[in-house]
Amino acid sequence: MNEFKNAKEEYDNTPIPAELETRVQAGIREGKARYRARRGRTIRRWASAAACFCAVLAGLNLSPTIAKAAAEVPVLGGLFQVLTFVDYDKTEDGIHYDVTVPQVESESELAEKVNAVIQEKMDAHLAKAQQDWDDYREAFFATGGTEEEWAGREMDVIVNYEVKSQSDSRVSFVVTFAEGWVSSMEERYYYNLDLSEDRDLTLRDYLGEDWVEVCNASIQKQIDESVDEEGFTYFFPADQGGFTTVDETTGFYVREDGTVVVCFPEYSIAAGAAGIPEFPIV
Amino acid sequence: MTKEERLTEFLIETQARSYRLAYSVLHDREDALDAVQTAVCRALERQDGLRDPGAVKTWFTRILMNACTDILRRRSRVVPFPEEGMEPGREDPEPPDESLARRVDALPREVGTVIKLRFYEELTLKEIGEVTGQNISTVKSRLYAGLKKLRVAMEGAEY
Repeated sequence: MNEFKNAKEEYDNTPIPAELETRVQAGIREGKARYRARRGRTIRRWASAAACFCAVLAGLNLSPTIAKAAAEVPVLGGLFQVLTFVDYDKTEDGIHYDVTVPQVESESELAEKVNAVIQEKMDAHLAKAQQDWDDYREAFFATGGTEEEWAGREMDVIVNYEVKSQSDSRVSFVVTFAEGWVSSMEERYYYNLDLSEDRDLTLRDYLGEDWVEVCNASIQKQIDESVDEEGFTYFFPADQGGFTTVDETTGFYVREDGTVVVCFPEYSIAAGAAGIPEFPIV
Repeated sequence: MTKEERLTEFLIETQARSYRLAYSVLHDREDALDAVQTAVCRALERQDGLRDPGAVKTWFTRILMNACTDILRRRSRVVPFPEEGMEPGREDPEPPDESLARRVDALPREVGTVIKLRFYEELTLKEIGEVTGQNISTVKSRLYAGLKKLRVAMEGAEY
């Protein structure tokens, strides 16, 4: 394995940027602060508009970069608010729940329907996580695992959301359900709502009558471009379960700059290593 | 020393290692810094999740790899490496083409991760399983698939 010695040497010699130290220190400060903030937290319901802004920030607060970007967004107004409805972080029977669920706060019927659907999906997902974990535990002991080996094992169940864009009457957000350990499947649900017209927005609304052709051409082009010089791509060929066309069920969100981004579930049109394929339609 | 102080000390001591690993996955200086900062923050935020202080290395590596995965997913591109339109930073090394390091980078991500953790970070197969959340046989088959792709002689490759 001499060849690896050279590769490892190269790896060990990766230049370390001078600002690593300050970035780590910043991470430490923020992590400690968040730990103190969330300790003992159970269920909170946010109500006021001020709290709403904090909640949206919390939802977006996945990384320092995004947090910084969000800080520059003016306080949201308009017809409605996206609030964090349920927010808890607890460990129970070896399952670590990290749940942040959005709720659209508005007078409209659509908002109510959306909230009910989110609630239903969340309940189903938590029940499935519990079932997966129980099955795994059973299989673990059935195949000769010991209590000692089991101790400390934990599965992460993460429910989160991200507001992708928001205007006075429109909102685009994504709810993510993920389970770690037993499987690393991540499921996403996409919501694009127009609260003033009380309806779901579709790809047709954004891209016009030719939305199918427009999407397909753009996606196919990006798939073709992903093939490397050795002919390798994560995407499956069309005749082997790969991408063929978008339809009414295809998920998408809308970026702040108005770009529509079409998304496909993990493993649906590409190998799992590609994650959730996203295609900005440009 | 409290548990939090010990964890903080670990995070500071291993920062260069964390950066190297993140960089080897992301190939971008800013993204790698971002991943390390995010992982350090998450580690402290979720320090209660660390039950066995002896397992801090695999526990943190897992958080770091997840932070890298998040960044990869956030990039709207799905092409793994090299990233189009990403200008290499001034400190980015340019390994000669066809070097083993470059071929490792060209592997599918899940396979490449196993190879990097095994040969660069010198983790055991068991530890790799803990980091990636896979069972040992999956780790093994990814390792062998990776070695085969790299056309590295299998002689002496006993683990």
